Amino acid sequence: MARILDVGCGRKKLTGSIGIDMSPAGQADVLCDWTRTLPFADSVFDQVRLIHVIEEVDNIFSVLAEVHRVARPGASVVIVTPHYTDHASYCSPAHRWHLSSFSFWFFSDKPREYDYYAPADYREVRVRVEMLKLWKILGLQFLINHFRPFRRFWEYYLSFMIRGKAIQWELEVRK
Amino acid sequence: MRILDVGCGPQKYPGSLGIDMNPNTAADVLCHLDKGHLPFRDNSFDAVRALHLIEHVSDVLATMGELHRVTRPGGTILIVTPHYTDYTSFRDPTHRWHLNTESFLYFYPGGMHGRDMWYTDVRMREKHLQVKLLRIWRFMGFELLVNHARWFRRFWEQYLSFVIRGKVMEFTFEVIK
Repeated sequence: MARILDVGCGRKKLTGSIGIDMSPAGQADVLCDWTRTLPFADSVFDQVRLIHVIEEVDNIFSVLAEVHRVARPGASVVIVTPHYTDHASYCSPAHRWHLSSFSFWFFSDKPREYDYYAPADYREVRVRVEMLKLWKILGLQFLINHFRPFRRFWEYYLSFMIRGKAIQWELEVRK
Repeated sequence: MRILDVGCGPQKYPGSLGIDMNPNTAADVLCHLDKGHLPFRDNSFDAVRALHLIEHVSDVLATMGELHRVTRPGGTILIVTPHYTDYTSFRDPTHRWHLNTESFLYFYPGGMHGRDMWYTDVRMREKHLQVKLLRIWRFMGFELLVNHARWFRRFWEQYLSFVIRGKVMEFTFEVIK
């Protein structure tokens, strides 16, 4: 059975996973400040999930380095966060980071000198952008998710009018 | 009426007690909000004002906790801060937070998807919210619509606000304890 870690699980922990969170009000199995360190051995999880949490941490690099450490080689890391053009990105006074669909490029196709900032090595397996209903009906979500050059064009030219909602990444841990 | 003006700067609200971290201001009390508690007892004030302050603090939840603590039950907290689509939100390198009209839902009873938020014990009610828009949009009636129809405000936030951009938001909260 796959070993899954749900980081910042809150009240909607993925069934069958180990939940870790700071607040006892949720469904966490392990309570700790997971933004500093994860209390697990190296290379133990097959999947790590960070659903609507990465935008709240002090330091994205150190969290993704810890996630990289506890995940086994080839494990998948699922990250969901608001696109920076979504109003939800600004709805919470705990959101420190406003990200785009290319924000985790930093961890995958990075130039070598970036290892200094982001030593953890990931491969970007998939990126999926969810759009507001109107844009979904008009087919823009389909275009953005199926044609990378169009996603780039959208991020550069269109995204303040045709606004994004949530971004979902699947990263593969490379060790 | 006991009024506290937090981060009062040189233009302290008349009749209030001013606090600031900068001695070259009209402050009556000098303290640094990010480095500890406000030097007042619980429920000391009827009204707390924080104008263009909240976007600068290192921890919004902790600061709101302190403002809430020193305000009496039923007292008011006034927060004035730029909307994140205003250029002033990004002009100042000491602005840490970029906020919108729903950023404080966090503190309303049942405010987060019908439930109380569990990261904070601060509870307050939105008594009044005024959004100011740039002059051209005001003349065209958008400011009136945004402020008088909740559904329109939501539609504006989700679809329009990067074109018809916001300026400043003035929230008045009633403290619940």
